[in-house]
Amino acid sequence: MTINISGEAAIVGVANTEFSKNSGVSELELASVAVRDAIADAGLKPSDVDGMTTFTLDNTDEIEIARAVGIGDLTFYSRIPHGGGAATGLIHQAVMAVASEMAEVVVCYRALNGRSGHRYSSGVSGTLLTADAIHWGWYTPYGLMTPASWVAMYTQRYMHLAKDVQDAMFEVAHIQREYAVTNPAAFFYEKPFTRAEYDASRAIVSPFRMLDCCMETDGGSAVVVTTAERAKDLKHPAVIVKGVGQAAAADMESMTSFYRPEIAKIPSMDIAAKVAYQQSGLTPDDIDAAIIYDAFSPIVLWQLESWGFCGELEAPQFVLDGALRPDGRLPTNTHGGQLSEGYIHGVNGIVEAARLVRGTSVNQPAKDIKNVLVTSGVGVPTGGALLGLAD
Amino acid sequence: MNTFNYADVKVGDKLPALEIPITASLISCGALATRDFEPCHHDKSVAQGMGLTDVFMNILTSQALMARFVTDWSGPEAVMKGLKVKLGAPNVPGMTMTVSGEIAAKDDAENSVTVEVTGENNIWGMHMSGSVRIALP
Amino acid sequence: MTPEEKKAFEDELYTYVGKAIYSAPRKGYDDVNTAMIRQWSEVMGDKNPAYNDSEWAAKSQRGHTIAPPAMMYAWTQEGYKVASEGRPADGQVEMVQFFDRHGFSGSLGTNVDQEYFVEAKPGDSIFEESIIDSISEQKSTARGIGYFFETYAKFTNQDGVLIGTQRFRVFKFIPPVEAATAPAQDGALEVPTRAVSPRGQDNKWWWDACDEGKILIQRCQNCQTLRHPPRPMCGECQSTEWDSIESTLDGEVYSFVEMHHPKFPGYQYPLVVAVIDLAEGTRIIANVVGCEVKDIHIGMKIKGKVEQVDPKTMLPQFYPVAGSAA
Repeated sequence: MTINISGEAAIVGVANTEFSKNSGVSELELASVAVRDAIADAGLKPSDVDGMTTFTLDNTDEIEIARAVGIGDLTFYSRIPHGGGAATGLIHQAVMAVASEMAEVVVCYRALNGRSGHRYSSGVSGTLLTADAIHWGWYTPYGLMTPASWVAMYTQRYMHLAKDVQDAMFEVAHIQREYAVTNPAAFFYEKPFTRAEYDASRAIVSPFRMLDCCMETDGGSAVVVTTAERAKDLKHPAVIVKGVGQAAAADMESMTSFYRPEIAKIPSMDIAAKVAYQQSGLTPDDIDAAIIYDAFSPIVLWQLESWGFCGELEAPQFVLDGALRPDGRLPTNTHGGQLSEGYIHGVNGIVEAARLVRGTSVNQPAKDIKNVLVTSGVGVPTGGALLGLAD
Repeated sequence: MNTFNYADVKVGDKLPALEIPITASLISCGALATRDFEPCHHDKSVAQGMGLTDVFMNILTSQALMARFVTDWSGPEAVMKGLKVKLGAPNVPGMTMTVSGEIAAKDDAENSVTVEVTGENNIWGMHMSGSVRIALP
Repeated sequence: MTPEEKKAFEDELYTYVGKAIYSAPRKGYDDVNTAMIRQWSEVMGDKNPAYNDSEWAAKSQRGHTIAPPAMMYAWTQEGYKVASEGRPADGQVEMVQFFDRHGFSGSLGTNVDQEYFVEAKPGDSIFEESIIDSISEQKSTARGIGYFFETYAKFTNQDGVLIGTQRFRVFKFIPPVEAATAPAQDGALEVPTRAVSPRGQDNKWWWDACDEGKILIQRCQNCQTLRHPPRPMCGECQSTEWDSIESTLDGEVYSFVEMHHPKFPGYQYPLVVAVIDLAEGTRIIANVVGCEVKDIHIGMKIKGKVEQVDPKTMLPQFYPVAGSAA
């Protein structure tokens, strides 16, 4: 027997902590606060929760949080690897758990002192003999050792093939900052920038400037998933999970898949999109807004192509036509994205996607929002979810 | 010694790089020559109490080396108008600092050029970065 | 600090803004003089004749020697008392002690901006007037949590002529606990080298050959398919039998980046890393060197050789093939 998980589960509670450069508290506290607030947002009690899922990268044990928050017995717990690639993977886990009755209420969480603690931009190093260390060893001796450097390698190739990429990167970074300017929770609230400031911002790894890169953040985010049935009686309109896909395409390396015939695209996301569209019966035309993982500005472009909003190499034009703006075809990253709201490995994006469906985003577009796409980090095994109101 | 004429230099011109061996003598004597008697610049035990391996260079010496780097190039008739320096990692004995620079701007009203200067040591990287504005004949 | 304590601390801290550091303009103990100028020039290795060669100077545009402008702040410094008795009290010392008492005992000069209007010459007296010009809000930096303060100084001569100004920015912060409790020891500085590639069963042979100056490409003994980076099984035929061929290192740039920030100790800049199509059909990641960065482009023909890039590291480095750059 096969089951289609579409419509079986819903996001019913969401929460972010404050985003800052220095939280002054432990990651356990950030995670506990986010989890507690997401449960409260759902109108549930901690004791209702019986499942938890997070990133392998998360430093905080689920059982520590469960104890801190007063969650009782757990019958489901799991972790997804590959950094930001795990974001919607948490939804994937939670949906499978509730659809198969392994659990009824699953909390997905991610919390990190990403700025005051370990910073991902500081690069990879170390001499432990793991498969991972051997993998990085093909790159780090040459200096290729930061996330920006790996993604820049794909970007240079994309610039070689597509037109107006730099202008489109600016548009992505700029429109997201404009959203953050009106989002009081955003790191860059009321801090706009101009094209001249973008062009003058510090070179990080050519072709990236500082304003193409997200800023590491301290903070936590959590979402609560339960069955569509139970969701009907809860506080907010249910945010139904209509489709969710996860994929690692052939010939994959973590961040350095430089050996495929063409590297200016994201085959893993192509697969995740296909899976999610198939489950949901939706097409790109049905999607009204999007939260697209944006650790760096150009990765938004490739994902627009993967999800079929435009053809291959056409994303720059799509974006430059104003598609991502509040009145555009696909208002995108309305919270400011990770470039300008905060970098919680995409889980703050799931929070925002749920708010868009509920109609409660701080930058809620004027048009009706029925279905919203939210994606995970790319360059690694990735995924995406289609969320919407019940039909 | 010749001095460059304003008309003969252009934005993008690079200055000859200068390698400076960082020694305890340079650090302590530099501190005294700039009348900076803070013990951390001449007393190793004080510097070690601060967590460094040895005495470290004072700011006025870093400024002096930056100024020297630019006038070595410009020649003695040039008139210094301004010097900005941002400090990075400390210079301690045993390092080598490489100072490099490039003309970043020209100001016709003042006949001055702004030279962007960086000094990087071979152990910890950027020690100083900044600019020197200097008027040429 | 609780929020209440922080507020009380900041309320008092910000009263220092605008305060004069000295009660009256401070006169340098000695007038500008050739002895101190000579000593400064010797130590700094500065052979500028405008400072020490009176014969040359007499014939120069100026007609006399000058003090190095960068000495401006040296003339009014306190002197040896700082080491023997401690820095005498003044407005800045008072504020610094206030910081120290509240745990912000770390101190780091971060920026100095000087403007020069008139060149000082031997015989001039130098006067300094300074104020605490600004104190930032609380900042969190890599050093720790603290405040930036900035002093503003005006330097005049005996005729009251403004010869220069200075802004001096200092970060006062709470030092990390480890630094305070673990004094450093003597020891040679370790010169940094490139990141070491860890060697395990599946890749050691490749790096060992690189150390010998050869770049190898793994080959399936069963189906002859080449593969890189090395792995224990052939993805085409699942054979674990393999040998290798030596690459000619004839290649072409497939994509590339230039690393700017952060800079890593042990690496030479400009630093370009490329994905390279090798003539054998596999790809390799390596540095492109030997030309201007602006001349590097996708499709550029390059040729590699294995070189010693630092005392511990052998790596393939690729150079443009004549006529391919530009």
